[in-house]
Amino acid sequence: MLGALDGLSRSLDAYLVLAGVLFAIGSFGFLARRNAISMLMSIELMVNAVNLAIIAFGAFDPRLNPNASVIALIVMASAAAEATVGLAIVIAIYRNRKTPLVDEYDAMRQ
Amino acid sequence: MTLPETIPLLGFGWDDLLFMILAGVMLGAALLVVTMKDIIRCGLAMIVSFAALAGLYVLAGATVVAAAQVLVYIGAISVLILFAIMLTQTKAGPSSLVFQTQAFPAAIAAAILALLIAIVIAATDWGDTAKRIVTPVRDLARSLFTDFILPFEIVSVLLLSAVIGGVFLAKRERGGND
Repeated sequence: MLGALDGLSRSLDAYLVLAGVLFAIGSFGFLARRNAISMLMSIELMVNAVNLAIIAFGAFDPRLNPNASVIALIVMASAAAEATVGLAIVIAIYRNRKTPLVDEYDAMRQ
Repeated sequence: MTLPETIPLLGFGWDDLLFMILAGVMLGAALLVVTMKDIIRCGLAMIVSFAALAGLYVLAGATVVAAAQVLVYIGAISVLILFAIMLTQTKAGPSSLVFQTQAFPAAIAAAILALLIAIVIAATDWGDTAKRIVTPVRDLARSLFTDFILPFEIVSVLLLSAVIGGVFLAKRERGGND
């Protein structure tokens, strides 16, 4: 019965579906959470999902092999830069508005 | 004594079991990140999710990326996020309301997105992907410092400017009222 699970770690589809589900979870968190830092954490989840897809392609397609790892490392460095600037912006807004909740950032609507 | 090829009674290989455990831990921790009420616990669950993902990278043969995942994500970004959480949470601030009013439509949209991605992946012919390749570190280094030398240098400048920008954005205004 469980024989269908054989070879799961050797199939590209399993890794890609996993990356897709992780991306969907991240997008849900980004749309649904009220806290700005929670939204940044959801963005990190989505970046990781994309990285997992890149690594999976590199692991199963010989034409992409060393390059996929290099691209994943560059994506990681860009994500670190993005997290630094994003958190600095959240802290700067928090200093002015005294709240981390994004639905109370309504100064431009009034 | 050697391990049998497949797990007795279950009928699939050991690395498949490892894959399932790591995938389950990663997805479970990611779900906790987006649903838990206490944001500090969300940050800690995010570390668990990143660690399981590093295990998946090793399983996919990308050992250098797994090491970088542990160093960059668990060591740097998670700690940065935990510090930002501690700087921005007030006692009165985190109310019982964790989600926006659009949370339910967002959940439906995310489920449809996951389903669509799965359908597209299943329907696409990826060519010959039967063999799993382990990335040799020597090949990776050669690729990084020959073909990708320009992106590598640009990323170093990007990181420098991000650090300077972060310090500039987060520092207090001189003569401000707080």
